[in-house]
Amino acid sequence: MKALEVHHATKRFGGLVAVNDVSLTVNQGEIFSVIGPNGAGKTTFFNLLTGIYTPDEGKILLFGKDVTGFSPDRIAKEGVGRTFQNIRLFGAMTVLENILVGMHVHIRVPYFHAVFRTPLARREEKRAEEEAKQLLEYVGLLHRKDELAKNLPYGEQRKLEIARALALKPRLLLLDEPAAGMNPKETEELQAFIQKLRKELGITIVLIEHDMRLVMRISDRIAVLEYGSKIAEGTPEEIRRNPRVIEAYLGKGAAGGVA
Amino acid sequence: MSAVALLLTLAFLGLAYLAPGALTNVFGLVALGATAFLRLPPQTRTLNLALLTLAFTLGLVRSGNTLGLIGLVGVLVALTTLPRIPTWIRGLLGLAILLLSVPMAGFANTFIFELGIQIGIYAAMALGLNVVVGMAGLLDLGYAAFFAVGAYTWAIFGSEQARNFLAGNFPLPGEYMYLFMLIAVATTALTGLLIGLPALRLRGDYLAIVTLGLGEVVRILANNLDHPINFTNGPQGITPIQRPPIDWFRSLMERLGIRLDQTTDYQLFFYLLVLLMIGLVVLVNLNLANSRFGRAWVAIREDEIAARSMGIPLLPTKLLAFMTGAAFSGVMGVIFAAQRTFVSPESFTLLASITILGMVILGGMGSIPGAILGAAALTILNLDILKTFSEFVRTSLPQIPSQVDPAKYERLVFGLILVLMMIFRPEGLIPEKRHKAEMEEA
Repeated sequence: MKALEVHHATKRFGGLVAVNDVSLTVNQGEIFSVIGPNGAGKTTFFNLLTGIYTPDEGKILLFGKDVTGFSPDRIAKEGVGRTFQNIRLFGAMTVLENILVGMHVHIRVPYFHAVFRTPLARREEKRAEEEAKQLLEYVGLLHRKDELAKNLPYGEQRKLEIARALALKPRLLLLDEPAAGMNPKETEELQAFIQKLRKELGITIVLIEHDMRLVMRISDRIAVLEYGSKIAEGTPEEIRRNPRVIEAYLGKGAAGGVA
Repeated sequence: MSAVALLLTLAFLGLAYLAPGALTNVFGLVALGATAFLRLPPQTRTLNLALLTLAFTLGLVRSGNTLGLIGLVGVLVALTTLPRIPTWIRGLLGLAILLLSVPMAGFANTFIFELGIQIGIYAAMALGLNVVVGMAGLLDLGYAAFFAVGAYTWAIFGSEQARNFLAGNFPLPGEYMYLFMLIAVATTALTGLLIGLPALRLRGDYLAIVTLGLGEVVRILANNLDHPINFTNGPQGITPIQRPPIDWFRSLMERLGIRLDQTTDYQLFFYLLVLLMIGLVVLVNLNLANSRFGRAWVAIREDEIAARSMGIPLLPTKLLAFMTGAAFSGVMGVIFAAQRTFVSPESFTLLASITILGMVILGGMGSIPGAILGAAALTILNLDILKTFSEFVRTSLPQIPSQVDPAKYERLVFGLILVLMMIFRPEGLIPEKRHKAEMEEA
């Protein structure tokens, strides 16, 4: 069973075809990158996967289940966690509360128990809080737990957003430009962190990224989008040599020069 | 500093004993301001608050001047918000004000009870609306509709009204009011579902307009459902509505050594009932705020897309907030109907909705003590200060035409207060930390 299968997905906005007949599959346990120049439709593609947009054509399967047209919250319940290109933390909530929101679907407290804060509600909340603290410890943010998310430095906000996505206990994690705005040292830490996630938690990871060094080092396979279409797919080595990719990134004629 | 504040307080205590009245109470408010805003050591502050409580109570009992009630509300607010006051003193003084000072003042001037009950009903509703607007960020301009549904739920069955369309022994005996408080939770939550289902698909201003319209629909239904079958008795309203029998309460009070007469018995009863309800509502508010539901509401308010990506379903979560707020309002509607023994559509106008929203905004969105303070301030303003001022103008300056009667400018004053708030303290009188953080962000 594949973690993710996309069959001929197309999304149009009026006359603009943002994602054009894209098909790809991601194996379980893989780290898969989607790259492409600005405006290539990468984020739109992510938004199709997470249900923020519904594809006009095509199908999306998560772990063998057809989820085409599912709402974002149902996709999340299917085990897909995500981060955003421009960080979308709940800024006025504390770090711990952000994680607890991420755990929403795993906290099983019926409404009436919550209203009267019954022993069951108390127990569940306490358990959730312990779990959230463990997760924060795992990502190294426990010492920040009571701070407002918006007061964290940028790098830690990125980390917290990943941690919040992990709180969902995802089978598939989608990271939208996780290294954006990071210096080389932070990027290296991020690489180690993503690899640790795959190794220790067995999560399949799909990421959009502009930092080619990171992409080439971390990915098992890469897909390249340009003007909404997939122009290449393969291992980092194959992508590096692909003339169409070089052309897309460096312009016409460059491919000959490099080769 | 502490000497000044203490001196002011002691002077007020003396005045309250010797010459109680409006001016003395104004002086008391100054003393309260000094206690709250000057830099004082916590011991002085605590002592001052205790003395102020005593003085305002004394003034109220001796003169019945309602400004004293504002002072007591102020002391309550100071107790809940000022730092470094021992918890047991906060609790003790708070209980003393609610359970001793106000009832004693009420026996001296029954209007105090009336004010207390009104404040309580509105405070409970403001707390309900706080869930909808403060936590979930859904701007609801038709909140009074749920109050109406709750009030009519009991009014129809607690009077002869139900005979018009049902065979049975109506009015139901007064004890049923307690049961109907529960039934009203169900009927108003259901109304919330019906109104929310279409309305909550919209956002922001659009939601506000649609809830405003649907809220008016409920009022107009109440106005017109007197034919073909007479459900609501139209604009005349329904009266008399049964009250629960309170013989047990009278004998209980007698055992405590308090003799109640015909006018004060029900007032004290409803006052205590409303206090109990506020306690319950505050508890539920706190419980929800610290649960997955409260967090989901705040998450949706802050960022819908991020919240949905965490598996929080949009419409059901918003509906839950809407229905919760509605249920609070419904219960208070039942108490309102029973306490007044009369309901008519006039009590549930758009202005009522806006007033309740104003209470939440004035106090500080999302803030529990804020909602209560907002309710107290606006209720006292509407029912007392402007009316008193009108009377003062009418008696002392009879040549002034009735067009400038201050009581007629209720909405103007109300609007002015809100405008001033938005300019000078947009986060509300007692801001909640989260909303404050959001305000700073913007």
